[in-house]
Amino acid sequence: MALGKDHFEILVALADRDRHGYSILQDIAARTDGQVRLSPSTLYSAIRRLLEDGLIEELDERPDPEHDDERRRYYRLTPHGRKIAVAEARRLERLLADARATGLLPKRS
Amino acid sequence: MQRDATALRLFRCLLWLYPSEFRDHFSREICFVFADRLHEQPTLGCLLSMYWGVLTEAPREHYHMIRYDVVYALRTMRREKTATLTAILVLALGIGSTTAIFTLANGLLLRSLPYPHEETLVTVGELPPGAHSPGAVAFPNFLDMRSRNRSLQDFGLYTARPFTIRGDMDAERIPGAGVAYSVFPVLGVPPLMGRWFSAEDDRPKAPLTIILSEGLWRRRYGADMSILQKSIVVGTEPARVIGVMPATFRFPDQAELWLPLRTNTKDSTRTDYYMNGVARLAPGVSMAQAQSELCLIMDQIKRENPKETFEQTVKVEPFRMRTTRSVKPLLFTLIAAVGLVLLIACANITNLLLVKASARSREIAVRGAIGASRLSIMRQFVAEGLIFGLAAALLGSLFAGVAVPGMMRLTPPNLLPTWVGFAPDLRILGFVIAVSIAASLIASAAPAISSSRQNLVDALKEGSRSTTASGSKARLRSGLVIAEVAMSILLLAGAGLMIRTFLNLERQQTGMRPENLTSLVVSPPGNRYRDGDPFHQLTRRIRQELAALPGVVSVAGASGTPILDGWGRSLTAEGHPLLSLKDAPMIYHTVVTPGYFQTVAIPILEGRDFTEDDAKDPLVTIVDAGIARRYWPGQSAIGKRVRYGPPEYNEPWHTIVGVVGEVRNQTLRDYGNFSVYLPHREFASAISSYLVRTQPGLANPAAAIRARIASIDPSIAVSRVRTMQDILRQSLWSERFFATLLAAFGGLALVLAAVGLYGVMAYSVSRRTHEMGIRMAMGASSGAIRRMVLQQSGSLIAAGLVLGLVGAFAVTRYLKSQLYGVSPTDLPTLLMTAAVLIAVGLAASYVPARRATRVDPMTALRAE
Repeated sequence: MALGKDHFEILVALADRDRHGYSILQDIAARTDGQVRLSPSTLYSAIRRLLEDGLIEELDERPDPEHDDERRRYYRLTPHGRKIAVAEARRLERLLADARATGLLPKRS
Repeated sequence: MQRDATALRLFRCLLWLYPSEFRDHFSREICFVFADRLHEQPTLGCLLSMYWGVLTEAPREHYHMIRYDVVYALRTMRREKTATLTAILVLALGIGSTTAIFTLANGLLLRSLPYPHEETLVTVGELPPGAHSPGAVAFPNFLDMRSRNRSLQDFGLYTARPFTIRGDMDAERIPGAGVAYSVFPVLGVPPLMGRWFSAEDDRPKAPLTIILSEGLWRRRYGADMSILQKSIVVGTEPARVIGVMPATFRFPDQAELWLPLRTNTKDSTRTDYYMNGVARLAPGVSMAQAQSELCLIMDQIKRENPKETFEQTVKVEPFRMRTTRSVKPLLFTLIAAVGLVLLIACANITNLLLVKASARSREIAVRGAIGASRLSIMRQFVAEGLIFGLAAALLGSLFAGVAVPGMMRLTPPNLLPTWVGFAPDLRILGFVIAVSIAASLIASAAPAISSSRQNLVDALKEGSRSTTASGSKARLRSGLVIAEVAMSILLLAGAGLMIRTFLNLERQQTGMRPENLTSLVVSPPGNRYRDGDPFHQLTRRIRQELAALPGVVSVAGASGTPILDGWGRSLTAEGHPLLSLKDAPMIYHTVVTPGYFQTVAIPILEGRDFTEDDAKDPLVTIVDAGIARRYWPGQSAIGKRVRYGPPEYNEPWHTIVGVVGEVRNQTLRDYGNFSVYLPHREFASAISSYLVRTQPGLANPAAAIRARIASIDPSIAVSRVRTMQDILRQSLWSERFFATLLAAFGGLALVLAAVGLYGVMAYSVSRRTHEMGIRMAMGASSGAIRRMVLQQSGSLIAAGLVLGLVGAFAVTRYLKSQLYGVSPTDLPTLLMTAAVLIAVGLAASYVPARRATRVDPMTALRAE
């Protein structure tokens, strides 16, 4: 199943814990050193798609201590979503291995 | 902080671009993220990129939703194949027939004329008292009006008639028009080659000039580039070609050549009416202003010439009206009829979608429970409706594409001016799209609204056990079927009345025997057959030669074709009071050779036919029984004297030597116009038509007739060779057209209503299987069950019938002017219509009724 680039980043962000929207953006920005910056619209379009495909689910709103305890909606990876994300990660792993094998990338020493 | 608040407000406004569902779900969260991001990175660049993000993502969300609805709709449609196909077919028939009628309306009313600035091009006509449409203009009146007016840019007269072009080896009759030189400037279409007529060309003694149409120039003269200044023989006179007009120009209707009138007030007097007026309004002048000015001028003319005028006024109308005036009532009735068909089709689709909505109500309720908004459920139905609409539009266009040429075959050729066209154009495309969208929206409105309103509890409770949960839906469905039945009655009643009118007219006694009678027009060159004896010799020779053809029973000559042509003048009977021009009755004259009455089969009631000796001394005439009855009731008209024309002209008296049966003139609708006959030798060269009666069973004599006349002299042009039956059939073309179309619409409506009734009954039976199971278990016979179902459908049919008949009583009176021999509320027709509808309705309910009796009580009771 084809997974968009943005979608995969979001799944990765949710892999370790449940997050709300802004937290997902922050996590992605931190991991990619600010390279991938999603706009709010792009983020929620992707969230809508992931919800529809059953890869993530919505949780009740919880107060977020980092943001003045405002009630935010949290998202969680579903088991199905975790399976898909893992499959995609393995696919990328294989690609990476192939790239090293053909000399595209320097082999690990 | 202040800036942040404004920025957020602006962002929130932008969020309105998103679909409402998305907004409801995410707008709060997305605003949080916006605020957080702005707080972290308060640059203008970041702000703008976030706004930009909304602008690019919102359309994608809309597209996603539409795609989802469409995919879902297609999936359900594929699942319910018969229902889908029925719906598309029904809607296609509605859209197709509506488009076909719109094509007619478009061709006649909307397509532009081939003349520039149509809005200032008008007809000018004298209006006799009591008439509604402007008529001909007398030449001297035209001259006075033209010189004295200030509201017209220019004004011209024209008369459309065929001309004979003579070549070396043939003579061809070609439709053309005699025009005053001012007509071409009024119309304003530049010539392809050469020039228009000048004032000099239009003087009475000027050498004859001619303008050709591009079609004639290509067809007969091989697009000869040096055609200008060449000479063509028209009639007997050589004419110099001075111009060629482009192919779209066929003024007034189908002319292919134009000649100047070259007339004067002596040859064309104030009482000669055979020319029509066309004019261009001066800039800034309205039609009403021009009309009142011309009426004032006409009053002056009447004061100056009291003996040669009657109580006429002047009417100015848009030029298009001379074509559309006679077809407008017909067209509007057809539009009303086809509108009913479309409504019935929409009602059918609505019912179908309501049924589908009921069947899906559980699924819809569940969707609603998990968060789909009312709007999204409505959207689903609208999407389905639009997909139906699109498919129906394509199929319907195909229907229309076949129907329009079919309709045109019901009209006589050369009926309409050449600028009237029924080919597809952008306007028709726009119409199809608009009608399809409108029909889809109307059809999906009811199911969409009612589905979105229901709640989960009701839907889950609903099983075949409960018939009340969908009470309002069931009422709506019944209501729609009743409406369909009522509208079908309206159409069928209209169709029935028109069919009877047509049959009545067809059966009309014409006063003659039209079978095996051929009529033709003969145009000999005037210089070879001069007026008087030479012409009469030709007439005799033609009659003898044609009578000698195998299978010919008798031949006669006349000044015109029976029924069609009429030379109208007034009559004064000796011993009866002198009537002024406006009071004297209109009489139709025909100049005939001996044997005319025998050939055409008009009975001679008294006296005798003309002989070859009847000429100028003594002057004799034959009148019809209507005149004899009116002026000399109870006595013989033989020997009495009459004179023709305005009394002031002092035309000589003619003695009546025969009385013949009445014939219909001009129209089959009444005998109101009297006929008189004059012997051909009284005139120099009046005979232009021949009537040939052949033995029954003879093949078409046209070719033999042409050949025989060509063998006499190839420069004699033969045209309009038709059988009398074709002429009669063509004279009824509009009644036949109307009756055929209304019958087609009525039949269509009936089929659609039957389909609608079947659908409702089938669904109702399927919902009541539980109830029927109980009844059958309690001992009800299958006959009783069948009766139960038929009772239900019967009450629907009855309600629709009553509504429809009441409507018919109210509405058919608008057809009154079109009817003949039958009143708008003719009881037998209405009863027949009702009977047909009841029969079809019961037939449509029969299958569901039988299916009801096949229900197995055990399964029904167990079923949910």
